[in-house]
Amino acid sequence: MSRFLLRRIASALVTLWLLVTIVFVMVSVIPGNVGRRVLGAFAAKEDVIAYNAKLGTDDPMLQQYGRAVKNIVTLNFGESYQSGASVRSTIFPAMFRSGKLALLGLLLSVPFGIAAGIFAARRQNKLSDRAVVTTGLATSALPEFVPAAVLAALFTVTWKIGKAFADPPEGTSVIGQLRYLWTPALAMAIVYFGYIARMTRAGVISALHADYARTATMKGLSNRQVMWRHILRNALAPTITVISVQIGYLFGGIIGVERVFNYHGLGSVMLDAVGKKDIPVLQGAVLLVGIVYMLATLGADLLIAFLNPRVRLATT
Amino acid sequence: MSGGSTSVDPTVSLEVAAPPSERVQARKELWRLVRRRPAFIAGSVILVFWVVCALFGRLIAPRDFSDFHTTPHLSPRWAFPFGTDKIGRDVFSRVIVGAWDVLKVAPIAAFIGVFFGVILGLAMGFLRGWFDNVASRIIEAFLALPVVLTALLAITVLGRSTTVVIATISILFTPIVARTVRAAVMAERDLDYVTSARLRGESAVFIMFGEILPNIMGPIVVELTVRIGYAVFTVATLSFLGAGPGVESPDWGVLVSESFRSIYAGFWWTTLFPAAAIASLVVAVNLVADAVQSVVEAS
Repeated sequence: MSRFLLRRIASALVTLWLLVTIVFVMVSVIPGNVGRRVLGAFAAKEDVIAYNAKLGTDDPMLQQYGRAVKNIVTLNFGESYQSGASVRSTIFPAMFRSGKLALLGLLLSVPFGIAAGIFAARRQNKLSDRAVVTTGLATSALPEFVPAAVLAALFTVTWKIGKAFADPPEGTSVIGQLRYLWTPALAMAIVYFGYIARMTRAGVISALHADYARTATMKGLSNRQVMWRHILRNALAPTITVISVQIGYLFGGIIGVERVFNYHGLGSVMLDAVGKKDIPVLQGAVLLVGIVYMLATLGADLLIAFLNPRVRLATT
Repeated sequence: MSGGSTSVDPTVSLEVAAPPSERVQARKELWRLVRRRPAFIAGSVILVFWVVCALFGRLIAPRDFSDFHTTPHLSPRWAFPFGTDKIGRDVFSRVIVGAWDVLKVAPIAAFIGVFFGVILGLAMGFLRGWFDNVASRIIEAFLALPVVLTALLAITVLGRSTTVVIATISILFTPIVARTVRAAVMAERDLDYVTSARLRGESAVFIMFGEILPNIMGPIVVELTVRIGYAVFTVATLSFLGAGPGVESPDWGVLVSESFRSIYAGFWWTTLFPAAAIASLVVAVNLVADAVQSVVEAS
């Protein structure tokens, strides 16, 4: 297990270094004169020079690259162009707020997705199976702001059971916060549940046809025992991978949801930064989400290895 | 590069005449199976509808989409099926004309991404070795970049334009496509026809594009349809966030973006109709993609 762990962590570090390099190329190399690009052709020359000086984009390339790598190691993403505050102090609290929303979205979508997937797999090719599959296919294709807008219209205007402004006031209890967050979280769950359901269904169906499942049934285990002890352990590996990948996507889609529900998370910080041309904040946010994605996939790989000895004992 | 080896030699063309016709037959058979699937029929009917709107929207739309000479915020009625917006423009006409903006950008971005992804994936799967190792690592890193957030960063750094949106989406799609194509190539590269091409002394480029590529068209077509779906998704989200390609057009994402706050005042139609248009388009693309995928995978 420890060898597997070490190898996996080493590869995550390489990926992190490549991630920084890609973002560096995009932000500092491709634009050429960053200040001119960002401020536009009509900006005054002094403004462009001041912008470049402030961001350090007139330093030698190698020095800039060194700084970018150092920033990711120390998790200090530099200073906001607009406010001068450290990027970390801007995006970490925002990330925490978005994280709460994302976590609630996952808590709503994962159990329902897995349950729907198992339900559909056991009724393969029946009408109820087709219904789950088609619904999942349709909802998982939606951009998150679409169900968010529909839920906003239904829950906050027509039925008046949700909040239009999802920011809970300072000092609201955890339960109290749920009252604010459940509608936007539901909007995300609608999008993510379908993919989880489809992955679970596919995994369970292939496990149901496996020899070990037949053996387990033949030796007299009940359906429930076969499902819990034998099938799910094997069938959930792809589902776990999908969930971990979605944790990264969650922060992409959350922006639209946050905007519809006026929630102040990473999305609103990023949109604000787009308006103010605040590159360090945007860059920090992209890198932070990238790190979250990598931690999530790392965690998923370890969880799969824990569930399935064949993975962790494989020597390649 | 491949020009020399792919040029048709009259003596050889007689021999190779049989396999392509078999391939054509197989393709026809696949197409027949795809056409019979209800999901494909439903998806393509919606898709054709929106493509017609995109191409001839200005002719079909009952009114001028920018004419604001009617009462603002009329609820849906016979004369204005989707109501009017906050300055009195006909939402129905705007939704019809707006189809153009998504359909202009998303398929192009998907095509470019698939094009480069296929080349990269073929090279990785066929050449293997250090090239494959290095490229796989870089792909891992690209996958950690969330498309929408990265597009926001790219648009801020490089300026907001259709080209930047298309370039960002296609660059971020390339590694994803490459991974799929690489897997398909790995399944083919040790088959007899590849070995015999090698023994004939064909160039690597010819084997990749002339021999392997035609045999992995199934997964590539599936990937293309799936990517078009994601491209529509991404473009709509970017427009909604105010970072999309269109500036003065009634792009659906823009329509939702400029009207969603009036939901809370009870004017739901200005938001929900364009939102439903986006939903119907992405769902239609995905129904088609799913139908193609299940037929290709079953064969």
